[in-house]
Amino acid sequence: MTYFISGGAKCGKSSLAQDLSVALSKGGRHYYVATMISTGSEDNDRIRRHLADREGMGFETVECFRNIMDCLKIADKNGVFLVDSVTSLIQNSLFPVEKNYEMDLAGANRCADELVEFSQTVRHAVFVSDYIYSDAERYSESTEIYRKCLADIDRRLAKTCDTVIEVSAGQPIIHKGDLCI
Amino acid sequence: MILVIGGAYQGKMDFVKDTFDITDSDVYNCDKAEIDFSNRCIYKIEEFTALCDDPIGYFETHQDEWQDSILILQDIFCGVVPMGAENRAWRQRTGRLAQYLSQEAKQVSRIFCGLEQRLK
Repeated sequence: MTYFISGGAKCGKSSLAQDLSVALSKGGRHYYVATMISTGSEDNDRIRRHLADREGMGFETVECFRNIMDCLKIADKNGVFLVDSVTSLIQNSLFPVEKNYEMDLAGANRCADELVEFSQTVRHAVFVSDYIYSDAERYSESTEIYRKCLADIDRRLAKTCDTVIEVSAGQPIIHKGDLCI
Repeated sequence: MILVIGGAYQGKMDFVKDTFDITDSDVYNCDKAEIDFSNRCIYKIEEFTALCDDPIGYFETHQDEWQDSILILQDIFCGVVPMGAENRAWRQRTGRLAQYLSQEAKQVSRIFCGLEQRLK
């Protein structure tokens, strides 16, 4: 089973994704794919909060900052993969820190292609993304490219995943498939 | 009239093309304070509302012309209140127009990540 979950900030996406992943694993191996490259104390705090949230849930952490297929070098593809978040993977690929955040569109496209391949390769996956498309702001060109890249992979994953859920104030809105497992 | 709303890059146009047999030649892209309703599909209405001070009044005046149209409007209502007065007014005009149009519409579809959510 594959799930795609999106929604606004702090709406309960990650909690739902964690619960789904544990339920899907039925006691088997479940991996938390850590995607965020920390850029300082604010990020470290967030990572600590997420770690505390997951404590006792039995996740194995796999670090992956860009190309998701690399996870399968160390993890079992028959496990459950919680990918939190698609946003981070695209951001890390499109604006690589090693290249001083200079835009790398080819890198972002490769990242997106691997996400689709990954969703079709592993047994169970839960992808978490961020809905950043409904505000009245005229953004810079590079921000618009980032929004479009993320929207494109969101749509591709929504197409390929069994279930698509939007979370609002902790409540799931099912756009496709079924929540029950 | 059919109203299609949704955030940026969500696939509103692709949905309309797939569902209603619309091609590029049927589409009017809004880029000024008036709309040519002779096209079946009116796209980027949020660009029209950015330039027209009274979009509801405009639609009321031209009511006979869009009864069978497919109208596509980007949802720009959910972010932080914009700092600039102009963007604030744009956001409000667009939201009010969305309410008016959804009341008039026989069908309202919201597109989320390429998937349709039928609101009416």
